[in-house]
Amino acid sequence: MNLKEELDRLLIAAPPGVEEGVALGTGISDGFSVFESPLGPVVVTFNPRGVSAVDLLSEGFERRFERRFHRGLLEARPPRGWNDLILRALAEGTPGDLPVDLRSVTSFQKEVLDETAAIPRGQTRSYGWLADRTGRPKAARAVGQTMARNPVPLVIPCHRVVRADGHIGHYGLGGADNKRTLLRVEGAIG
Amino acid sequence: MDNLAKALAADLDRSFPDLVSRLQHGVFSGMRQLTGDHHRAEDLTQEAFIRAYRAMQTYPADRIRAMRLRGYVWTIALNLLRNQVRAESRRPRSVRLEEAGYLPADPPDSHAWRRRWKLLPTVQRRAVILRHVAGLSYREISEATGRPQSTVRSDVRRGLARLRSIIETENNHWRSQ
Repeated sequence: MNLKEELDRLLIAAPPGVEEGVALGTGISDGFSVFESPLGPVVVTFNPRGVSAVDLLSEGFERRFERRFHRGLLEARPPRGWNDLILRALAEGTPGDLPVDLRSVTSFQKEVLDETAAIPRGQTRSYGWLADRTGRPKAARAVGQTMARNPVPLVIPCHRVVRADGHIGHYGLGGADNKRTLLRVEGAIG
Repeated sequence: MDNLAKALAADLDRSFPDLVSRLQHGVFSGMRQLTGDHHRAEDLTQEAFIRAYRAMQTYPADRIRAMRLRGYVWTIALNLLRNQVRAESRRPRSVRLEEAGYLPADPPDSHAWRRRWKLLPTVQRRAVILRHVAGLSYREISEATGRPQSTVRSDVRRGLARLRSIIETENNHWRSQ
């Protein structure tokens, strides 16, 4: 074999992890892992900017993610140090120090979600209260729509937002029964 | 590559994975020889593509359309190598390979090649690896290393001559045993 042929043989396949690593590192695809939550196992997705979505572990969660966020999804470990932050955020119902990627919502919705994140465990607020807090007292309906669009339920505790008449209201993560379960676990309702 | 540059200019996110899949084997194999280390080569390869993506995100479409992609990615890769850059920690990590029990395969005669490369001056080693392992043109090597094409040609020629003589010495050594 001549020298150039020997050098040719040094061209080998890149390890299969390179493509996935690049997709995750650039944020072209998000990573996902499954975590325990008060509602059972949930899928948490993340990218270098933060946690981007929380969904129930059920058939089609990947398709739902791709349809909403227009990015791919790959099974992955969260960035170093985030594992504990995610577990704590899910257990306590607040982001704490966990970065959250809210690129998928409008600036008004982000404002509403930031206010929602500060509602203490064991308490509830009304849609109208949240509308007041964001300086748009007539926007209770838009606040309701924002709760439905919350990409990171449990981490941003939209389950703590209920109707002013005491009715529990809708819940995006599996319906009103799940909302009731969460509020009961947190001692907000009997 | 020209079509790929056009596609990247039109939709970076959609076409970037194509760029990675086309260039990754050359970049990894070149890095594998330059570093002598599988994991470091893998990290540097990933990091080079990630940084290329981030830079291209800030470029206007015209600039991306005119890019010579292989030389560009290698410019970044060689800078990373020179600066001993490590990957950032704030990044999701792939799990599939660990679960599949993936074991890295070594290129042929790894040990012998590691020794041979050490016997070459740095510029010759780099030029031969980029030309004959990673498959870059002289023009691309010139872009990536900042050395004139004529100098690169002579780096490659001298590097190959030196390698031939190293291998001949090895063969004589074995014959005399």
